[in-house]
Amino acid sequence: MKATAVRVRRALAMRSGDGLLRGAVWVLLALVLATLVGQLTGAGGRPDAIVGPRLQPPGSGWLLGTDNLGRSLLPRLLQGIGTTLLLSTLAVACTAVISTALGVVAGYRGGRTAELILRIGDVLYSFPAIVLAVLVAAVLGPGRTTALAAIVLVTVPLMTRMVGVAARAVARREFVTAARISGVSAPTIMLRHILPNVAGTVAVQGTYALSVGILVEGGLSFLGYGVQLPDASLGLLIQEGGLYMVGAPWLIVAPGVVLVAAIMAINLVGDSLRDRFEPRETRSLV
Amino acid sequence: MTVGTPPLLVIDDVVTEYRTATRVVRALDGASLTAGRGETVGIVGESGSGKSTLGLLTGRLLPSGTRCPRGRVLVDGESVLDLPPDRLARLRRERLAFVPQDPIGALDPTLRIGRQLRLALRDTPADLAALLEQVRIRDPEHVLRLYPHQISGGMAQRVAVAMAMARKPALLIADEPTAALDSQVREEVLRLLFTLAAENGTTVLWLSHDLGGVARWCARIAVMYGGRVVEDGTTAEVLSAPQHPYTGALLAADPARAKGGTRLLTIGGTPPVLSDDPQGCVFAPRCDSAGEDCPAVRPAPRTVAGRTVLCHHPGGTPETVPARKESAR
Amino acid sequence: MDHIRWLLGRVATAALTMFGVSVLIFAAVRAMPGSYTELVLGPLATQAEKASAAARFGLDRPVVEQYWHWLSNAATGDFGTSLVTRAPVAAEFGDRLPVTVTLTALALALTVLIGIPLGVYTGTRDSGGRGGVLGRLVSAFGMSLPEFALGSLVVFLFTRYRLGLTVGNYVPWSQDPLGSIGSLFLPACVLAVFCVAATARTTRDAVLGVLVEPHIAAAVARGEPKGFIVRHHVLRNASVPVLTLVATLSAYLLGGAVIVERLFNVPGLGSYVVDGLDRRDYAVIQAGVLLAAVVFIAANLLVDLVSGLIDPRISVLAKGAGS
Repeated sequence: MKATAVRVRRALAMRSGDGLLRGAVWVLLALVLATLVGQLTGAGGRPDAIVGPRLQPPGSGWLLGTDNLGRSLLPRLLQGIGTTLLLSTLAVACTAVISTALGVVAGYRGGRTAELILRIGDVLYSFPAIVLAVLVAAVLGPGRTTALAAIVLVTVPLMTRMVGVAARAVARREFVTAARISGVSAPTIMLRHILPNVAGTVAVQGTYALSVGILVEGGLSFLGYGVQLPDASLGLLIQEGGLYMVGAPWLIVAPGVVLVAAIMAINLVGDSLRDRFEPRETRSLV
Repeated sequence: MTVGTPPLLVIDDVVTEYRTATRVVRALDGASLTAGRGETVGIVGESGSGKSTLGLLTGRLLPSGTRCPRGRVLVDGESVLDLPPDRLARLRRERLAFVPQDPIGALDPTLRIGRQLRLALRDTPADLAALLEQVRIRDPEHVLRLYPHQISGGMAQRVAVAMAMARKPALLIADEPTAALDSQVREEVLRLLFTLAAENGTTVLWLSHDLGGVARWCARIAVMYGGRVVEDGTTAEVLSAPQHPYTGALLAADPARAKGGTRLLTIGGTPPVLSDDPQGCVFAPRCDSAGEDCPAVRPAPRTVAGRTVLCHHPGGTPETVPARKESAR
Repeated sequence: MDHIRWLLGRVATAALTMFGVSVLIFAAVRAMPGSYTELVLGPLATQAEKASAAARFGLDRPVVEQYWHWLSNAATGDFGTSLVTRAPVAAEFGDRLPVTVTLTALALALTVLIGIPLGVYTGTRDSGGRGGVLGRLVSAFGMSLPEFALGSLVVFLFTRYRLGLTVGNYVPWSQDPLGSIGSLFLPACVLAVFCVAATARTTRDAVLGVLVEPHIAAAVARGEPKGFIVRHHVLRNASVPVLTLVATLSAYLLGGAVIVERLFNVPGLGSYVVDGLDRRDYAVIQAGVLLAAVVFIAANLLVDLVSGLIDPRISVLAKGAGS
């Protein structure tokens, strides 16, 4: 009896924060699932098929309306979500690998190595994200590669710095000193001792980087330097929708809502991860 | 405690629980303590015995998420646990003072010492330099211009003592104020603290690990174990003839009191972590004089040899403790 | 003494970063497809014409010399000539700077006036209850609104339903100061949404971090009222991360408000640079990106200096933590 009461009380205490996390995870799962189903089964039709008159409001043949060419928005939206998520995830995976490697080395070695890595990061960090992204676009030309490279360059500095700080804290702990004294090689220490202990930071920063990645991809595509037509991405769809929004607001509302929901869900997951991996003393007297 | 005037501090059968999302830890389990005006009380016990919680409780300074489902705390007749926030703040301001464990951490790192003192004593007109001189700080004008990270722990603790005593509090709670200091400075800070308290008629609760220090500075001693005060009497009597077996064990484990050539005893086992009403005496598993009733019946306060003891079989002396409780290490 | 050495170290680091930034920009512009002379002269130019143009622009000299030439000119305020308008880039910058500064100042004012009090309020009230969850939701929402989506929405609502403020008609400061602010108000609001959310969140985290410090517990034990503690002990201690964020945001607003400037037809610096990219106007790109980075570095240096004054431990800690 008593044990049950305690368990219920615990569940209630945990619930408020967990509800947000659960909601966020569901949103992300739904988006991924919708994209997969759309791409694999062709549900909603082909993205480039002209299904009806131009700029029609949502109706039976076109669930989310049609665009300026008479294409149905739904399949294009599914395609756009897929492109945006895939591109951002891929880029952030690159960022995670690069930043974790650099951060762990900087944190463990310290000294000149760390200084060099952090200074290079500072240089990249000195550009406003969208300006850096546009500069990348100017060198590489518009397209998917540009979006990918831009996201990596924008997210690497901050993540490297955070992983570096975390790795440095781990490198100062006794078990690392003990391993070093007992003759364990540096690569082994970094791999076996430092890496597992900064995994939480990598997860938290990676999640935040993912939301930044989606923002950068969106911004770039919106400016015309990212994903190119006839391909679709959320930023591109919003930009297209913006052109016709006075007569056909549905074209901007649907991708806008999806984009905001995706970024918000990712940010909330990041917050939960942060609370979990970087817990702080939360009891105050005031 | 003279008959007629009510005691300054009454802690009566208080239960205090820290609650987190996953568990409940009971830090005080029916603790009782009374202190009169001007008394000096040393509170001793292992870490986790509830000393610090008892100290914080006097000013209701427990973190949010702490509950006190039972008991009452009276300071000067005011029920601390029931006061509205503004009255509570006034009580803290006018009657209580705390001397912290970590003196540097207790100072605002971004403000000069002088500015902090002025802020803290804004309605007590005071000559800050004189205040610092009172706690034997040489060159007070210079110290007033320094930031907390620029002064030593001993200096910071003197500043804390000065800040605490400037308002002439009725009750001073010092939670191991010398734990972070080296031994020479430790003695000096204690002397200052108790001298100033005696001059102002301030009651002192000193939460301490230092039995020798308590013997030197406190008239009374209260021994805590498992969230209760298990023995409470005059220092001389308690230290010379402990009645509670835990007190005896604690004395036997104090290196400062060990006679040359004798073996230092340690107390086997670990202190309990309570989560709800325990059955019987919580010291029973570690106690050598435990009888059959000990694990079953919760001991009630009784008066033995002029002091209050929570034990079914008081009077067991550590000298008779069999050697099996010696540490293996 | 320590403090001065720390300051010099920070200035040196900033200078080093600026050097790295300039090299990166120079290299990026050289790496862009299409040669400079071809762009100036068009595809039909002869080899001789190209050679003479290259000599005229100094393109026949060694790369290091070209870099040095560009940097030393830029340092004296000469950013070269726009390929498109044939006007000095510096003059165009001078025209656009007041617009960008006004826009930034408006957005920053909103950010500071709303974000910081909001963060302090939620930080000192909320203890993880329902209010805390709501606060987290709202701030996460604010930080999840990309300016191109929010901006499009605002443009749509205000053009479609005539909500009073006109969109896309920038009024120069010299014509009508009040009207100028009015015309920048909407874009400033769009920019401010993210900034307010980020600032409120950072402030809240910083305040919560300070509230658990022992000196706050000591102040509570002294019987200080809550408002007093917040004013005298919390705000100052919590200000460093907030200042750092505000500096980052202001640099981002000064150089990176490209999307909002485009959406609202604001002739600011950011859109000038991106227009320059569209037209391959190298002088403009170089100058604009350099300026944005310099502003960022300068703002951060300033914040470092101010932080050192607010929290005197920073210089000591930095020394202890360095290498």
